[in-house]
Amino acid sequence: MKRKKNIWEGLIIGIFIFLVIVPILTILVWVGTERWAWPSLIPQKFSMRAVNGILRNRQQLVRLCMSSLFISASVAFLSVVIGTMTARALECYDFFGKRLFSFMSMLPFLVPGTVFAMGVQITFIKCGLSGTVQGVIIVHLICSLPYAVTLMQDGTRAMGVKLEEQARVLGAGALQAFFKVTLPNLFPVMLSAFSMAFVVSFSQYFLTLMIGGGNVKTFAIVMVPYLGSGERNFASIYSVIFLVIMLLVFGILEWIVGRFTKAQEVEYY
Amino acid sequence: MKKKMTPYILLVPQLILGVVFIIGLGTGIIQSLGVIPAFGLTEPTLKYYKEVLTRPDLLQSLKYSLYIAFMSAFLATVTGTFLCAVLVSAGKVRGIIMRIVQIPIIVPHVVVALFIVNILSQNGILARILANAGLITDQQQFPMLIYDRYGLGVILAYLWKEIPFIIYFVIALMANINGSLGEAATNLGANKLQAFMNVTLPLCMNTVLSGFLIIFVFALGAYELPFILGATTPKALPVLAYLEYTKPDLRARPYAMAINGILIVISLIAAVLYYILLRRSTKKLAG
Amino acid sequence: MKKRIAALLLSTVMAFSLTACGNSAKTEKADNKETKQTTEAVEDMSFDEMVDAAKGTTVTFYGWGGDDNLNDWLDNYYAPRLKEKYDITLERVPMDIDAILSQLSGEISADKKDGDIDMIWINGENFKTCKENNMLYGPFAEELPNFQSYIDTDDEETNADFCFPIEGYEAPYGKAQLVMIADTAVTPDLPTNTDEFMEFCKANKGKVTYPELPDFTGSAFVRNVIYDICGYEQFMDMEADKETVKAAIEPALEYLRELNPYLWNEGKTFPKDSTALTNMYSDGEVVMDISYGAYSTATNIENGTYTETSQSFQFDKGTIGNTNYIAIAANSGNVAGAQVAINEMLDPEVQADRFAEIRTIPVVDYNKLNDTQKEAFDKVEIGKGVIPQDELLSKRLPEMPSALVPIIEEIWAEEVVGK
Repeated sequence: MKRKKNIWEGLIIGIFIFLVIVPILTILVWVGTERWAWPSLIPQKFSMRAVNGILRNRQQLVRLCMSSLFISASVAFLSVVIGTMTARALECYDFFGKRLFSFMSMLPFLVPGTVFAMGVQITFIKCGLSGTVQGVIIVHLICSLPYAVTLMQDGTRAMGVKLEEQARVLGAGALQAFFKVTLPNLFPVMLSAFSMAFVVSFSQYFLTLMIGGGNVKTFAIVMVPYLGSGERNFASIYSVIFLVIMLLVFGILEWIVGRFTKAQEVEYY
Repeated sequence: MKKKMTPYILLVPQLILGVVFIIGLGTGIIQSLGVIPAFGLTEPTLKYYKEVLTRPDLLQSLKYSLYIAFMSAFLATVTGTFLCAVLVSAGKVRGIIMRIVQIPIIVPHVVVALFIVNILSQNGILARILANAGLITDQQQFPMLIYDRYGLGVILAYLWKEIPFIIYFVIALMANINGSLGEAATNLGANKLQAFMNVTLPLCMNTVLSGFLIIFVFALGAYELPFILGATTPKALPVLAYLEYTKPDLRARPYAMAINGILIVISLIAAVLYYILLRRSTKKLAG
Repeated sequence: MKKRIAALLLSTVMAFSLTACGNSAKTEKADNKETKQTTEAVEDMSFDEMVDAAKGTTVTFYGWGGDDNLNDWLDNYYAPRLKEKYDITLERVPMDIDAILSQLSGEISADKKDGDIDMIWINGENFKTCKENNMLYGPFAEELPNFQSYIDTDDEETNADFCFPIEGYEAPYGKAQLVMIADTAVTPDLPTNTDEFMEFCKANKGKVTYPELPDFTGSAFVRNVIYDICGYEQFMDMEADKETVKAAIEPALEYLRELNPYLWNEGKTFPKDSTALTNMYSDGEVVMDISYGAYSTATNIENGTYTETSQSFQFDKGTIGNTNYIAIAANSGNVAGAQVAINEMLDPEVQADRFAEIRTIPVVDYNKLNDTQKEAFDKVEIGKGVIPQDELLSKRLPEMPSALVPIIEEIWAEEVVGK
């Protein structure tokens, strides 16, 4: 019985991997392609034009990536911290206005991104936050936070308070119990929340454009115009760089959490 | 007294950010009511909503948007949850496989549209494979998978992105529950499928439902994919909003905001339904 | 206890960063603008005084960022030239015009004095909207030395943008003209008027199309068809009334409907924008491309995106041409710098270099150039597959008033798509 299941499982997972990887491969091919016309299965004209374009601008691009990573890392970090706090409040306590807060935390999901961007732009201009990195971080945070809150809520609810309560019973202080018992066990979910918030922030285009004005340039801001242009090789190479950066970030994060998480298995529910 | 204050204090950052968001949202709604001082519009009016709601193509666009959002979200949730179960069952929840799951989450929607056209269009790679195999001779013999009235290309593009999203969303939880409680169930005599259906899945249901809501509302309100991969008619609602927004005549902006207003209302209805389902599911768990 | 303090601390930190609302917490720009010029002061400056005031300042140039060739030329020729000659740092900001308008109108309504936007790449209806809503600084263009020396003031396009008077609020930047492109190896006979075009479509059934309106290029193509069938003069002062326009273009609508069954997907759906059409042409899905960049064929053949045998063509009665411009934001913080930079763009040397590098039709008047300058233009090899410049420009039709454009687009969507 077990072996049969494994073949099916392997097949399904294999198909899934295939369907994810093949499109990425076509993008990779397009990095070096100028012309790929019917009915040919390989491009007719190759060129290094896009690669040269990137290399030509590499200093600027590296600076751009650094600042984008900084912004998104700040957003992700704040999302996780605030998300954990909010999730804890919503899951572990019963209080007046709980439903309202819960709804408020989900609200950014329910509104098309363009509405918020255009609506908050004028407010931020008046405030002096328009065109600043802080302003961009704040608005990115607003859009990333719901993902973090949702994930942390599920994790917090699943973890429950029992372990922490046990620690308190055994004499640990409130903060001690939280930092030494609950937090390490929330790490895996916090990693998911951090990653999600990071991607959402790094991919933001319209919002960064509206709030950052032309002042705050992220990688997405430089990349997106190429995605709509006719030069598919440029679009592809920017996409590949984008993808590689994000995968590296995720890989590193998972490795870090893996190293620092205690080996203990926590039971959810 | 102290205990009572804790949740409120914990919620202060969320509150501040929530207020900023509501300010932005409120301004957007005010704009949809025609008040944009920058363009000399100062009278609140419902005329933009009236104009939008009486558009001849509104009903068609609305149906089309709902259909795409629902189909893609539903199929993605079901498939995603299923795949998640398979991955958990096979023990593949970390490392390289997670990188692969994350790839579609990272790839921007516009890039997905690019390769969908590249692969699935009548001129695309699939069509060329058939042509080289001698099965078709001209592009037009290949079925129209994109730019069609049923939004097939749009749905496929969303599926490519959203199935991994659901997997990622649910997997940490599912893996953990399956490991402990699922194992307990099998020890008590249930087979793997029973353990999954009666123990793991119900406990993950809240998360699954959240995932569904998120991708449903997102697909409803996002314009890029229906714009690039959709037909000339019908157009999805956010595409209509986008076209109004890009009109040089800035007085068309309230019109765009009115369409967005309608989208928000639909999203709110979806959220209400979500909360109802959530409460039912939580009650089942508690009971 | 400690947990709550930590929470309080975090919340106060957040509150603090938000109350930074009070102060202008702007990020440092690359250079500081020591001299905050008020618009009154700049208006009275002579050009040389402006050059002095602009020394050491930064000028931002907002415009579409999806053309790598243009970006490259701006970053690696124009910007260094400005730095060397005037010590002006040019910051190119890639942004679509709708986002630019959003930001500009937002800044103006919030009374922001030292706006981020200095130079704007703009034309047509967008220009009209901005000028009518007092979002632009001006008049300035006609005072620029290079404008006076090299621009043809009799040229319609110098004085009106889509029939809307410019009155010095924008300066010419580059010229464009609509051309069609086909591969002579695939379709040796290229149509020269709408009748032949119909035959062309019949012969290449399902392989010809044009971008869906309101795409800029698709819209221009339809307007060109209208000009070819209905003549263009009547539109130059036509009232912007839907019924009037519809009656005037009815023969063209009839033609377009007749054309549908022979088009790609039988005219039931059209490619999203000109980029999609170009990709389809390059990929061999359609046999004709349309472009506003008259000489882009040459660069595309050079890159290999087009086949070697691609060739541009026009209708005998002409194709629509227009000019695009640079304007200055009304609340720009560096009006002097912007004017110096724009003036430099009008320098024949700069125009010639751009012509050589990216084949944009120059805006300077050939007849006003001296012999060395003329030579710089003459020796440029435009490349393969293009229409020779004098022929191209001899068959150039003017744009109609911009108010008519959205009306035509609306009528097209109602009367042609899928009919």
